[in-house]
Amino acid sequence: MLSCKQVATLASQYLDHDVSTPLKWRIRMHLMMCANCRRFIRHLQITQTVTKNIKVDEQTPDSEKIWQELQQKIRQESKQD
Amino acid sequence: MDESLLVTQLIAGDDKAFRYVIGQYQTLMLSIARAIVGDVFADEVVQESWVSVYKNIAGFERRASLKTWLLTIVSNKAKARLRKESRMVSLEQLDGETPGSYLDSANFKRDGHWQNPVSHWNNESPEALLEEKQLQACIAKTLLLLPPTQKAAFILRDIEQHSFDEICSLLDVSAANVRVLVHRARLTLMQVIDRYQETGSC
Repeated sequence: MLSCKQVATLASQYLDHDVSTPLKWRIRMHLMMCANCRRFIRHLQITQTVTKNIKVDEQTPDSEKIWQELQQKIRQESKQD
Repeated sequence: MDESLLVTQLIAGDDKAFRYVIGQYQTLMLSIARAIVGDVFADEVVQESWVSVYKNIAGFERRASLKTWLLTIVSNKAKARLRKESRMVSLEQLDGETPGSYLDSANFKRDGHWQNPVSHWNNESPEALLEEKQLQACIAKTLLLLPPTQKAAFILRDIEQHSFDEICSLLDVSAANVRVLVHRARLTLMQVIDRYQETGSC
C-alpha cells in the first residue's frame, strides 16, 4: 500500500495521466481508503484549473525600446563585417 | 492575428509586425532564458535571439509554429551561453528545496501518513475562485517569485500547454526533473489558495 507521502509526491503525475497503469491502480486503491489524499488531489486539480487562467504579466515588454536596441545591434554587427 | 499573414509581414521586413511579435513573446522568452542561464545573462541572450530572428526569418519554413521556432532559438542561445560561461549550475542550485511545502517530511508521520488532516476548502469551485480578484493577484505574485526553472517549467506546461518532451528540450532538464519542477510549482500555488481559503487573504 502506498503511503500518503508517496501519493502526495505522485499527485501531479497522476493528474497528468503520466503514471503506469499498475501505479495508477495503486494510487486509486489508496484514494478509495484515504479521505485526506482524496481532498489533496482534488485541491491540486482545482489549483491547476485556477492557475491555468492566471494572467502573467510581469511588466509589459517595451517593444519599441527592444526594437530600437535590436536595430542598433544589427547596425553595429554589419559595420564589423 | 493570423500567423501565416504575420510571418509573411515579418519576412517582408515589416517593423510593425516585428514589434508586435516582440510584445507577444519577449516575456516568455525571458522566462526561458532565465531558467537556463540565470538572471545575469538572460536579457543579453534574448536580445541575441531577436537579432537571430531578424536575420533568419526569411528561412523560417513554417514547419513548426512561429512560437515554437522562437522558443527554440532562445533555448539554443541560452544553452550556448551557458556552455560559454561554463558554469554548469545544477538544478538543485537553481531550484533549492522548498521547506514548508506540502512534501516537507515534517508534514508526515514516520509511516508516511499525513501528520495533520488535509484542510477543508469552503470554496471548491474553480469558477468562483477565478472571480476572486485578490486571490488572482496573490497567485500571480507568487508565480513571479518561484525559482526561475520552476517558473518556466510551470508556465510552459500549465499556461502555455507544451508537452513535457518539448519542455525538457527547451529548458535542458531531464524528463524526471521537469515533472518535479512542475509539481513543486503547483504545490506552492496550491498553498496560496489554501491560505486564502483559511484566512480570506494572503
